[in-house]
Order: sequence, then C-alpha cells, then structure tokens
Amino acid sequence: MTGENDALLLRRVLAGEPEIYAQLVDRYRDRLGRYALRMLGERADAEDVLQETFVRAYRSLARCDPERFGAWVFGILVNRCRTHAARRARTQARIVTNDAAMAGASVAHSEDRDAIRDAISWALEQLPTEQREAFLLKHVEDLSYDEMEVMTGARPSALRMRVLRAREGLRKLLAEAVRD
Amino acid sequence: MTDQEDALTRMIAVLKQPVDIGPDLTARVMAEVRQAPVPALDETATPERNWWRRRWTVRFGPLGALATAAGIAAIALASQRVGRRAGVESMERSATVARTPGPTQFVLVAKEAKAVSLVGDFNDWSLSATPLTRSDGNGVWWVTVPLVPGRYRFAYVVDGTVWRPDPEAPAAEDEFGRPNSVLTIGGS
Repeated sequence: MTGENDALLLRRVLAGEPEIYAQLVDRYRDRLGRYALRMLGERADAEDVLQETFVRAYRSLARCDPERFGAWVFGILVNRCRTHAARRARTQARIVTNDAAMAGASVAHSEDRDAIRDAISWALEQLPTEQREAFLLKHVEDLSYDEMEVMTGARPSALRMRVLRAREGLRKLLAEAVRD
Repeated sequence: MTDQEDALTRMIAVLKQPVDIGPDLTARVMAEVRQAPVPALDETATPERNWWRRRWTVRFGPLGALATAAGIAAIALASQRVGRRAGVESMERSATVARTPGPTQFVLVAKEAKAVSLVGDFNDWSLSATPLTRSDGNGVWWVTVPLVPGRYRFAYVVDGTVWRPDPEAPAAEDEFGRPNSVLTIGGS
C-alpha cells in the first residue's frame, strides 16, 4: 500500500487541491471497505466507518508520511472499526449476554446455515473483537506481525496468540455450522 | 481436523474476495471534505511556530510523589525550552494542564511498563501513533507532541492494554466508560 503516486496526490492536496483527495479515496475504498465489512458484518456500518475514516484522514493529512498513505489510513480504519465494534458491543451487551446461546444456536441451525457466507459471517461474529481483528489482518489482509503491531499497538507475541485462538475458534464454529 | 482446516482455508478464500464499495462513498467523503478546512502543511513549521527549534523548559513535580501504588503515575507538561527531557533535577511543579500552545510534553512514571503509548483526540486514539520513550533506569516515559490551542481528551495505554488517565488532569470518560483526562491548551 505504498507508491509514488500516492505521495504526489497527497502533496497536491496539501498544496491546495482538495478535490485530488477523491483519487486517493477511490484508490483505497474497496480494499479498506473489505476489511470494514468483514470486521463489522453490516454493510451500512462498514460504509459509515469508512466514510468517517477518510474524512478523519483528510483532516489529519498534514501528519501523514506521504510515502505511507495507504498504511496510515488503514491504521485509522482499524482503530475506527475497533471503536465502532466496542460501541456496538456495549449497546448490545445485555442482549448478547442474555441470548448468546440461543442466538448462536438459532443461526447455526437455521436453514440459512447452508449458505457458506452466512456460516462464515456468523462464525466471524462470534469471535472476540481482538481475535477477529488479528485474524483478518493476518489472513485476509496478509499483513506481517510487524505491520500488525504498528497498526494495532499490540505486540507480535500477543497478536500471534490472538490469531491462533481465532483459528481454533473458527475451526470449531465452522464445524458446528455445517454439522447438521 | 483436516476437514476443519479445509473449511478454514475456504473461509479465508471467501473473505479475500473483493468488495465493491462504489463511487457513492467517494462522493459522500468529498461532500464532507469540501466543508472542512484545507489541511495545511504542518502548521507548527511556520517560522513563528517552528517548535523544534524553539527552546523550552521542562517543568514537573517530584516524581516520587507522583508514583501510585501500582508504580504508575502521569503528568502532562507544557514545555518551553529545548534539551531537558525527563531529567529529575531542578524541577518545579507545574500545572497539569498546559496553557501554552506548541510542544507539550507528556510524562508517565511506569517502572514496570514495557511499552507506553499516548492516545487522544489529537491522534485519533491510535495505539501506535504516539509511543513514549523510556528514559534510562528511572521508569520515566515521555513524548513531546505539538498541539494547537484547543481542548483535548487523552490517556496513556501501558503495555498495549492498561488504560491510564492522568491523575493530575481533569477527568473525563469516553463513550465506553474508559477513564480519560482533559488537557486544555490556551489560545494565543
């Protein structure tokens, strides 16, 4: 996620051409959107967070290393997704706590479970936020643990553990989803 | 186990499939961008605010008195003279709340910490954007951040997980109930 073109575009924005920023948004929206969608599950939520991320990035653009715009804006997105997930978990905590077993069972054993996508979405959603984040960054975004450390602030050893637990959890969840 | 591994591999392949967000998102972003001020090149770099050349003074209170039972305490400092990082000699106690725009030094005493970062409104609460540097031997962590006038919420994060407000700054709480501190930088 680096490139001279990013740097040139960014410098033009900073030099007084804000409309150029649209090109940077176009360049990264799908890649970042994929992460937001996988992380949050709901497309509307993902688009809201993505919009917020790009606007925040624009307002802080002077602090960005022009050679690393992609990684920098991705870092903002990771942070915003975490914040959004925490807010959602907080507002839904009572429901989730009370109905966790039933909610899992009802989705896993519903007719929809035959759809791979539904099973995958359901399984991802069952993971703790930190594990889901680490799993997606490692296996879907193909980041190194060093890159993940910069992005999340967590140490590689902790990130490895989160990925390991996420994989273990997902194996069990996927097996459960397809068992019946 | 092999079937489970295969399922996981298929899952990753599905998750990697591209997502088409569409141009509407760009349009919505740009509608907001047009309402925002044009982001200037680092405003602290103008001659009158050339903070890294300006001299500043580090002022803070006795470190021992700041340490909590957990060995962690924090103070946020306004700084006006270069070259005195987190030394402990000839210090005078200063207000926790910085009054002067420009470089603001944040200091945390955390003897057992292995890593400390500063999170706040000014860095989008990023755990990685503003790491503190540890001074040798004395458990003092510090970082200097240029801040323009305004009211900021901030906190320290120790070892990536432990959220610490500044005990001497006015307290606040974020939307998740985490304790934060408030730092007010006065106008010129």
